[in-house]
Amino acid sequence: MKDKKFWRWLLGAVGTLVLLAPACAQMPPLYTHWENYTTANGMPDEKVLSVAVDGDRVWAGTENGLVLIEKGKIQKVYKPEDGLANRVVTGIAVDPASGDVWLSTFGGLSRLSGGQFHNYTNLTSGLANDIVYGVAIQDEYVWVATTAGTNRFNTRTGEWSIFSEKNAPIHEPWSYGIAVAEKKVYVAIWGGGILEYDIAGGYWKPYTDPDGEMEIVLFKNQGLIHIIVSNVAWNKDTQMFWASTYFGLSGYDGRNWHNYLSTDSGLASDFINSPKSRGDDVWACTDKGLSYLNFKTNTWVTYRPNAKTGHGEIVITAPDKKVTTMETPTSLAHNYILNMDFQGDDIWVATATGLSHGIKESTRESKKEASNKEGKVHEHTTASR
Amino acid sequence: MRAQFTIRLRRLGALTGSLVLAGFIAATFGVSPLHGEQAGTTSTSQASQENYLTPVELKFSHDGTKLYVVCEDDDSLLAVDVTTRRVVAKVKVGHKPKDVAVSPDGRTLYVSNEWDDTVSEIDAASFSQRRTFATGWGPIGVTTDRTGKVLYVANSMGNDVSLLDLTSGTEIKRLASWRSPHNLSLSLDGRRVYVANLLGHLGSPNEPPASELVVIDTAKQRVAERIEIPGVLELRHVAEAPGPKGGYLLVPFIRPKNLNPLIQVAGGWILTHGMAVVRVAGANNATQPKSTVTQILLDDVDSYYAGTNGVAFTPDGRHVLVTSSEADTVSAIDTTKLERRLHQVPAEELADRLDSAKEIVERRLETGSNPMGIAISRDGRSAYVVNRLSDSLTVVDIPRLQVRGTIDLGGPKQLTQLRRGEQMFHAARFCFQGQFACATCHPDNHIDGVAWNLETPQLGRDRVANRTLRGVAETAPYKWNGHNPDLETQCGPRIAKFLFHSEGFNSTQLADLVAFIKSIPLPPSRHLAANGELSPPQERGRAIFFRKSCDTCHTPATHYTAKTSFDVGTATKYDTSGLFDVPQLDRIEQRPPYLHSGEAKSLEELWTIYNPQDKHGVTSDMSKEELNDLIEFLKSL
Repeated sequence: MKDKKFWRWLLGAVGTLVLLAPACAQMPPLYTHWENYTTANGMPDEKVLSVAVDGDRVWAGTENGLVLIEKGKIQKVYKPEDGLANRVVTGIAVDPASGDVWLSTFGGLSRLSGGQFHNYTNLTSGLANDIVYGVAIQDEYVWVATTAGTNRFNTRTGEWSIFSEKNAPIHEPWSYGIAVAEKKVYVAIWGGGILEYDIAGGYWKPYTDPDGEMEIVLFKNQGLIHIIVSNVAWNKDTQMFWASTYFGLSGYDGRNWHNYLSTDSGLASDFINSPKSRGDDVWACTDKGLSYLNFKTNTWVTYRPNAKTGHGEIVITAPDKKVTTMETPTSLAHNYILNMDFQGDDIWVATATGLSHGIKESTRESKKEASNKEGKVHEHTTASR
Repeated sequence: MRAQFTIRLRRLGALTGSLVLAGFIAATFGVSPLHGEQAGTTSTSQASQENYLTPVELKFSHDGTKLYVVCEDDDSLLAVDVTTRRVVAKVKVGHKPKDVAVSPDGRTLYVSNEWDDTVSEIDAASFSQRRTFATGWGPIGVTTDRTGKVLYVANSMGNDVSLLDLTSGTEIKRLASWRSPHNLSLSLDGRRVYVANLLGHLGSPNEPPASELVVIDTAKQRVAERIEIPGVLELRHVAEAPGPKGGYLLVPFIRPKNLNPLIQVAGGWILTHGMAVVRVAGANNATQPKSTVTQILLDDVDSYYAGTNGVAFTPDGRHVLVTSSEADTVSAIDTTKLERRLHQVPAEELADRLDSAKEIVERRLETGSNPMGIAISRDGRSAYVVNRLSDSLTVVDIPRLQVRGTIDLGGPKQLTQLRRGEQMFHAARFCFQGQFACATCHPDNHIDGVAWNLETPQLGRDRVANRTLRGVAETAPYKWNGHNPDLETQCGPRIAKFLFHSEGFNSTQLADLVAFIKSIPLPPSRHLAANGELSPPQERGRAIFFRKSCDTCHTPATHYTAKTSFDVGTATKYDTSGLFDVPQLDRIEQRPPYLHSGEAKSLEELWTIYNPQDKHGVTSDMSKEELNDLIEFLKSL
């Protein structure tokens, strides 16, 4: 019985790929193989809020602790009893110099170094608030997004600075995420747009709704798409920042805005929890799947599980808006995506029901498989969800 | 037996015996005898024009023919010819040099300058300075990696470790250590750098202290592990056991029982001294998945060896020598017996047993005043102990395990009052059974970071945090209750009765000791700009300081203390009175924990946790931004 089902699925998949062949010329390499880490195989909680890659190590922040994955296995789960400031780990930043892991939690800021935690809270340090949503490293500074403003902690002098509506051009202190560029720091403010900090000059510049009234752009590419910004990412290759909002995706190249809605692009949903970007790749973690944009070709790909079949679904939107759908035997753990990070060519995705590892085939393999779909499908029929 | 005899001589104050011994050494070995102060000189002359050298650390040259000796009061590095036993070269370095590292090819030396926040690069051949590198705050320990391309620097004030690129002379990165990192030691295989931290974790005053040995992976240049050494303080040096029996580290420590009333000194065990035996996971012969720590004491039941400090293995690994800087002793330990002891006695018992030393210590040898670092020659025949307050090196004949002589490094021969006072400050002989000296709880004239129950009649009550001695000359009265109007009272009969349980100091000695304590300077402020200008947050904080009338009690003109006691609502259930002496605020950021109880682990906690009734200033109306600014101002003082 199982064999019949499998062969039916295989034929369907092969058929899909045959139909897809013309589009493959511009198709980016796809993630067709997913491995998931869930409560069934050792995750301490279903909901994975954050993920960060440090070489061979993958750190995942859940609603019930911090997880270290290495060599394809969960190596360690850290809980408050191990010294973690709080069980809800909302953000992770690995200091590239020291390897120390900084964690934003709902009970303050934690630093994990050499296996030991050191915590910073509102009562014990200059941290503005213990509800911390994001953390980022800029040389010796640790930037912290809290509900009472953005903190900058100088790890060498111990100085804490707070940037809020009192001393920065925003009317809301609630910061959600932080991205560090070479010369700037970008802060995502819930209801306050994007704040840009000039590192050399020490001043702020706000990016909010263009007319200052509507909270949202009135015309496409007029400005930041909406001022309720959930997170921000910096692309050092294209020198652009990308802002995720609950009302669409915005990119800014220093001169022009590039806005995307689900209605006018291949974006899965306008409700976006966080962006990520490198090279020509832009990723949007939405509530309806993980969307990818090739910024150069304007080709979109969305990954999500198919609730009916249990397989993975890939929706490709070509620049001419032609939509092609294909199915993969494995899939993301859930369509509600919160965060992601890169590990070489692979991606790690934080979802509402687990952490997903997207394993990428090489471009050469992908092209080869695009012309030899049978082999590709066959290759992945052995993978388990 | 011979060692026991030597020690008894000293402990009984047998001046005649010492003089005879000194003469014997001079006649037999043709080297300088013990310094005048050891021979009982009683000069009261004041400070000489010439600086004392105050040697603190030493390393062998690459070819083993010279010893490089760091002299902190002379701001210099000496080269001592080990054959002629004479100083053959000297180079001036930065202010308060503390350690020296020799490059793997032996051609370059690196000296840390604690008060300049620099490292001096010295050409070993010409003995001249080439370059100066900027470091973090308060550099002490230094070591290169195996390649000689990277210098690791322990920044004692910054609580971190700088990694310097020796080609460009610039800092590559800085790794967080813990509190007051002092010594750095490169593992024998070059894969790790071990960081010994002087002060322990900032924890509850109701818990025993805990210290941290940091392990840095030299390939990744990252902190690989933080090994907690429970119940101890003052990790100063690290030595790795060589050879087939290797695979473990020895880390000298002090083990205070600060949760007991200090009157327990009479019963022993209140301040013990020993070593942590650390087997680092994955290092050398250590095969266990997790690092392990065992502690063994070096004190005898009725005689203590305070200030365990320098440590070095003989090349064959058969012996390890440990200096006791406040007992003027170097102890020679048989490592075979040490390993046997570690196997025979359960680890959980060993840390508190005072019967280990008689099993493992083969010889106790007398040194000069305040012995610190120790280096052993490559042939394993000689050890050299640097005597900080004697300006000399003690030479130990290792095969015979006896003192072969003393090398005079120079410096004034007469003892000034300050020098005598400093020697007393570091001398445990004034305490019952030699359990501790002033310096034991005031390492580097500062704090040990723990709270103590000092005296009767409030046994078990009125526990108080240790207070720094830096810059205290003009901050009378003393003690947290302000009952001691001057340092003579503080350090006189009270100390003798309640702390030392001994005769204490005589009037001359007391005058010397007080003169020394009054001379202890404040280290430079790292939070104030070189031109003295306040940063914008500090300026804002300064305005808050005066607006909130902090200056009423923390009077700026008198080191930010009104020199009296106030009740600011900080009394705990253990306190008899709520009145406490107003602490001076100079360099306040350098001495957590805070409050008389040591409960506040950070400056923030003074107001976020320990000021619920707004009695320590009306602060509940302050925003977090204002509090951060106030703290930035306090850190600038």
